[in-house]
Amino acid sequence: MDFCLKQVQSDCEELLSRFQRSESVRFENFSEIWREMKFFQIFYGTTKRQKRMFARLILDKAYSFFLPPFSFQIRVGALYLLYSLYGCQTASPQEQIRVPLKDWEDIKRFEKDAVDAQHLDVVYILRQLMAQKAFYFTAMPTLLSYNKKRKLQKSLQCVGFMEPSSRPQELVSTELLEELAHIHGLYGKMKGSVFPSTEQSASSVQLIRKDLVLELRRTVVDFYQWQCKKESDEDEDDGGEGTSLQQECSKRADLLASIKSKAFGQASETCRSRRHRHVELNVSSNEVGSSGFPSAQRLSLKARTKRDVRISGDMRKEAETRTQINRLTSLDFPVTKNIQKTQKEVSSEDDDA
Amino acid sequence: MAASRRPSDPSTNIPDYEYQDVNTKAFHIGSFRTEWLNRLKPSDYSFQVEDEDAFDAKFAQELGVNAETMMELKSVCNVESLRCDDAKVDPEVVPPDSTLQTLVQRKEKQDLKASKKFFKNRHELYADELERLTIGKNPELVDDMVPEGELILTINVFYPDVIEKFNFIRPHAALLMMGSHTLAELRDAICCVSDLQVCGEFSNNPDAAPSFLSKDHFKSAFFYFEGVFYNDMRFPECVDISRTTIEWAESHNFPPFSQAKMEDTRFVDLKVKVGFPYLYCHQGDCEHLIIITDIRLAHRSDCLDKKLYPLLTHKHRFTTQKCSVCHVFIGRWFTTGDRLAPSDPCLFCDKCFRMLHYDAQGNKLGEFQAFPFVDRGAFN
Repeated sequence: MDFCLKQVQSDCEELLSRFQRSESVRFENFSEIWREMKFFQIFYGTTKRQKRMFARLILDKAYSFFLPPFSFQIRVGALYLLYSLYGCQTASPQEQIRVPLKDWEDIKRFEKDAVDAQHLDVVYILRQLMAQKAFYFTAMPTLLSYNKKRKLQKSLQCVGFMEPSSRPQELVSTELLEELAHIHGLYGKMKGSVFPSTEQSASSVQLIRKDLVLELRRTVVDFYQWQCKKESDEDEDDGGEGTSLQQECSKRADLLASIKSKAFGQASETCRSRRHRHVELNVSSNEVGSSGFPSAQRLSLKARTKRDVRISGDMRKEAETRTQINRLTSLDFPVTKNIQKTQKEVSSEDDDA
Repeated sequence: MAASRRPSDPSTNIPDYEYQDVNTKAFHIGSFRTEWLNRLKPSDYSFQVEDEDAFDAKFAQELGVNAETMMELKSVCNVESLRCDDAKVDPEVVPPDSTLQTLVQRKEKQDLKASKKFFKNRHELYADELERLTIGKNPELVDDMVPEGELILTINVFYPDVIEKFNFIRPHAALLMMGSHTLAELRDAICCVSDLQVCGEFSNNPDAAPSFLSKDHFKSAFFYFEGVFYNDMRFPECVDISRTTIEWAESHNFPPFSQAKMEDTRFVDLKVKVGFPYLYCHQGDCEHLIIITDIRLAHRSDCLDKKLYPLLTHKHRFTTQKCSVCHVFIGRWFTTGDRLAPSDPCLFCDKCFRMLHYDAQGNKLGEFQAFPFVDRGAFN
């Protein structure tokens, strides 16, 4: 049955990404998309034994979207998907949804979130599944039979479904800031108490920045804003994807045409010196190398670092000014001589040519 | 991923992966059950389905919803609304014009299959039959009911690796057992041809053969789970055959193994890894791998008749070797040095064997040696 795993995954992703675009957690929206895609037909045409196996497969797949790395909205979508698949399956008796013990806390938390936010349809459907006994309470999400895989396939292609990482925000909460300010104050005082009389000695032990707490807070806010900005940028990129590809194609065609015309043009001009022509050809081939075949698959590490790493405030400037190598070492005398010598040789060779 | 966020406590009995999608860490089965039962309300794992009106009333009360909203909610969330109105589409046929990739692929596969000539595969028929016997069975007596909150284990028993060439299939039988079963009950449920082998030459007295089954002579066996050998000691003639291994391990500075009795050990007392291969050894050297593939709470759709457990859910069906005379029945006798046979050695079914080798009075004709033969596929 594993042969259709990929297809099932992509169908589920398609449904969920449509649901994500609807920017809603209502079941009405979901069922509209479901009907639009005729998703209930996914069970059609399976024969006797395959019915159970296919139901098992697709429920397992749908369940994998119901767990935390995904955003709340996707998880709601996955819950609706499970409910709909469970209700629509053709196998009899029905296949159940497997809930492993380790995920139970997450499901309870999810339910609590839904209750707190008054998403009645989410809570209703979850409780309905419970009441219908749609769950197997299991040890593990799938049957395990020591199936070692030669290749580990990457299972998470749907990065878009994930919640943006919010670890810094989680870590630096208001409580933590207060606590930190308090401790910082205490610490400062303690250090001050060692030198009771003079101001100077007290300031000499103030090695930590005074506005540590404020700065920490500002950095986190900065990070958050940058995150938001980056997200919106990415969205814009996505929108223009179709056209930009076309543009790239036509750009390349134009470029090829211009290179051709250049080459033919040169052939007709015979009076140019050999050396000159050589140089010009070089220029055009360089062009081809750099921009003619845009290697769009993957940016370089440097480019990615520049894009992804966030450096706030003065740090950026510091990071950008490079330490020049001649400040670290000075060349020995004979070495420089050698270099001069080689340079001379090179230039003389140039002349020969 | 969800698990990585939690502090990992080694003493916990919440199963988690040791290797992703391969096997779990070891945990105590009984405590695992308690963990589930602590988290669930008795109604959650009950076999009774809650009345719909009662469910609605409870829901409305708990979330403070008025009757009107409740009605709306029910109509919106109705499963019937998900199946579309077109009644003309046959659910048994793949819809031809679907945009779903799964269906596009399924259509392609079925078209390909239809264009080729395939022999009917009887394995599916057998599997269906097996399923029909067990699924959703309710017991006649209330006492035979599987208790609510009981554990159901799925156990794969692999056949010993005696096939000459490497196959991609791993022949096994899958059994469902309850947490309250003992290992001895699992042992009795495993059927293996080496239990039925008959040793010896019986050409002079073919009727005596069936009374020498290996099962009745050599009753010792053991299971091996997580460093413990569980020996079968139910009968006086049982020997501790794990002794050899334990002593060898001791003399070679291996970590020590311990021993226990199979008949005193229930599954809920075991500490195991789900998905990890363990060992069942009987007849001295017939070794089967045992994998517990799943542990879960019993569900109302399970077979609820206690008496039907251990319950066979899957069985590999071997090809059988037929009698070389009639080519109809499975071989029962194996002869060597036989001048009447077309080959040496040669297989015969019981009927052909007797007709060819004995006269009407049961006297042996000619010189030959005959050994009883038990086919691997005898249990099919």
